[in-house]
Amino acid sequence: MSTAVGRSGTEAWRALRVPLLATGVVVLGVLVLLIAGAARTSGPFSPDSAEPAGAKALAALLKNHGVDVMGTEDLQTAVDSAAGKTLLVAPGGSLSRSDWQDIARAGWSHIVLIRPSAKALEVVAPGVLDASSTLPKDSRSPDCDLPAAVKAGTATVSGVSYSAPDSAIACYGDGINHTVIRLETGGQIVDVVGSTRTFTNAELADDGNAALALNLIGTHPELVWYLPQYETDGYDDGDKADGPPLVPPDVRYIAWALAFAAFVVAIWRGRRLGPVVPEPLPVIVHAAETTEGRARLYRRSRARDRAAAALRESALGKLHKAHGIPRRADPTAVVSTVAARTGRDPVLLYELLYGQPPADDSDLMFLSNQLDVLTLEVRHP
Amino acid sequence: MVLTGRAGVLAGLGVLFVALAMPRWAGVGLVVAVVLLVCLVDLLLAGSPRRLQLSREGDTAVRLGQPAVVTLLVANPGRRVKGLLRDAWPPSAGVQDPPHKLDLPNGERRRLTTHLVPTRRGDRHADRVTVRSIGPLGFAGRQGSHKVPWTVRALPPFNSRKHLPSRLARLRELDGRTALMVRGQGTEFDSLRDYVPGDDVRSIDWRATARRNTVVLRTWRPERDRQVAIVIDSGRMSAGRVGDAPRLDHAMDAALLLAALATRAGDRVSLLACDSEVRADVRRPAPQDVLPSFVNALANVDAQLVQTDFRVVVSQVLERLGQRSLVVLLTGLDPAVIEESLLPVIGPLLRRHVVVLASVADPRLTEMESTRSDMIEIYGAASAARTRLDRERVTAVLTRAGATVVDENPDQIAPALADTYLSLKKAGRL
Repeated sequence: MSTAVGRSGTEAWRALRVPLLATGVVVLGVLVLLIAGAARTSGPFSPDSAEPAGAKALAALLKNHGVDVMGTEDLQTAVDSAAGKTLLVAPGGSLSRSDWQDIARAGWSHIVLIRPSAKALEVVAPGVLDASSTLPKDSRSPDCDLPAAVKAGTATVSGVSYSAPDSAIACYGDGINHTVIRLETGGQIVDVVGSTRTFTNAELADDGNAALALNLIGTHPELVWYLPQYETDGYDDGDKADGPPLVPPDVRYIAWALAFAAFVVAIWRGRRLGPVVPEPLPVIVHAAETTEGRARLYRRSRARDRAAAALRESALGKLHKAHGIPRRADPTAVVSTVAARTGRDPVLLYELLYGQPPADDSDLMFLSNQLDVLTLEVRHP
Repeated sequence: MVLTGRAGVLAGLGVLFVALAMPRWAGVGLVVAVVLLVCLVDLLLAGSPRRLQLSREGDTAVRLGQPAVVTLLVANPGRRVKGLLRDAWPPSAGVQDPPHKLDLPNGERRRLTTHLVPTRRGDRHADRVTVRSIGPLGFAGRQGSHKVPWTVRALPPFNSRKHLPSRLARLRELDGRTALMVRGQGTEFDSLRDYVPGDDVRSIDWRATARRNTVVLRTWRPERDRQVAIVIDSGRMSAGRVGDAPRLDHAMDAALLLAALATRAGDRVSLLACDSEVRADVRRPAPQDVLPSFVNALANVDAQLVQTDFRVVVSQVLERLGQRSLVVLLTGLDPAVIEESLLPVIGPLLRRHVVVLASVADPRLTEMESTRSDMIEIYGAASAARTRLDRERVTAVLTRAGATVVDENPDQIAPALADTYLSLKKAGRL
């Protein structure tokens, strides 16, 4: 009669519920901690990132000076009406022209664009053009009338420079193109900063960078720090986003569906029909193993004397049997008997059967062949 | 829980659905929900493999190389079970069938047949029976295992039985049934019968003739009811492989032929397989039980990688045998082992009994000795010659000590041992 193996569903549940509960509690706790303590934004120029390319130092500085910094990755926050506030747009992401128009129309008192795309310049800061030249990293003086820049003095700038229209104030440049531009359009102040590294954790402490940042950005008590993301709507209005994203946006859902399908297939193919049956296997040793091992030893140590002795003794044994020579006959008697039967030279025969061990491998081969021939002759006279 | 190919196909279609119709999180969620729901429903509707009742019947013993049939009775008291059933055995049991297809409605029973062709001697125990029950939709199912114990014993093949008829014919010649035996050593009085012209006049029983009107002849037959002890060395010397089987298997083959022959000749045969301890022990079974009891006892004997303790062997044999008997020792002819372990202790055995030492020679050595085309092979030939000379030397030592040595290739060892037995019997040395 049969007995079922393994646990039934009820037993499995009873055995597993406590570990499952414990795992659930741990996972929940970790999630709570992550959500509560984790940075809300991340990446370069993020107000929560302490990496060299982040801008946590600037955010902290602004907070110390009474500016309420709100980091966000949500476009909606940047588009909502916000008079009396400053909007800082970090570099990166891909916003469509309509997104930029929404931002421009939102009614921000002050917009700071850090290295904006050509599309952003066109919509938010008309007249400012990317000069398609970069400034080498250097300490530069402002050379302009912008109070914030004048108060800050020299600053370490590098990166993209812009050509500004006549109505704008242009600072920190090489005389032709500048990297900090201020525009005033319809009651809205727009600052364009091409030097991305000036305000990062890495370089904020250099020269007058921190003062420039505070004076430039901290003009209003509330600051919305927007990190643009890749917005899928960029394609929907027929507008070409800034540089096409590397993967079409739909692929991510297809990939998830594919991953799920792969998981299902893995379970389907991975489940065996019962466990593998083990079996103790017998030891396999070839009976001739020791003899072959001894042959290798002979060869490695070039034991020609022993090999020759074995071959001679074996041949002699066959000759004894074939000619009926007594086993303990002395060599001369053996040689004379064999010489008489085979008609060979007794001297050579003595040398062959009882001579010196061979000096090299070819001698051993010669000896072996001769003995072979002799025993064959005896067998078929 | 198991999933089937259908679940995989459904998930694959889901990928197409997401790609073409709904490239949104909602699409992915919908696909996952549909697949999980269908699998869950199927899982809940599948019959329980655990509630099946299984039992076995069929062969319990089979000669090695022959097919055995074991049937599995599956009864289903619960919901319909449809799917696969795997009757798992160890690899050397040689299961011939793929997993069985099973479709078992409520209350019915099925008989499933598993064909085995064992590839090694010994007991083969059935492992578990695993049932995979797929639900009515064919997307998912349940899987469970049962232990249904059964053992198939693979017996020694006794390939040398083809030599038995010719040896029995020679035995009958000895026996005086085809030719007349002359009184002498190793024969005993059989019966009186009428003289027919051509009979040997030396066999006429004159006293009986005087009491009758006809001339009466005494007939003789070989002595009967002698004891033959077959001792198989199951130590490391029997583990070496000669041809495609270990020495031990060739030795068993020879032992079985000798046992069959000696039983027919009226002798009592006993068997001992021994290395450092006794592995098989059959003491003088009834004549009709000799072969079955021997193959059963030998089925599970395997060569152990230990040095055989010949003191144990000799004391065991001496304890078993009272009268002067034939002791056949099947072992290897390893000069070092024979000289160091066997010769010092075999004295009492040689004094009280007739000892035959049989060993399986390795044809590979003859082959090595005769091929000499390059230096590697010449050293091999020298080494093989040295091995042969050593064996010859130890054979000579054993012969001088009074034992008979049979050293033959695997295909010849069984008939050669039988012939040695017959010649010993003929010479009246038993």
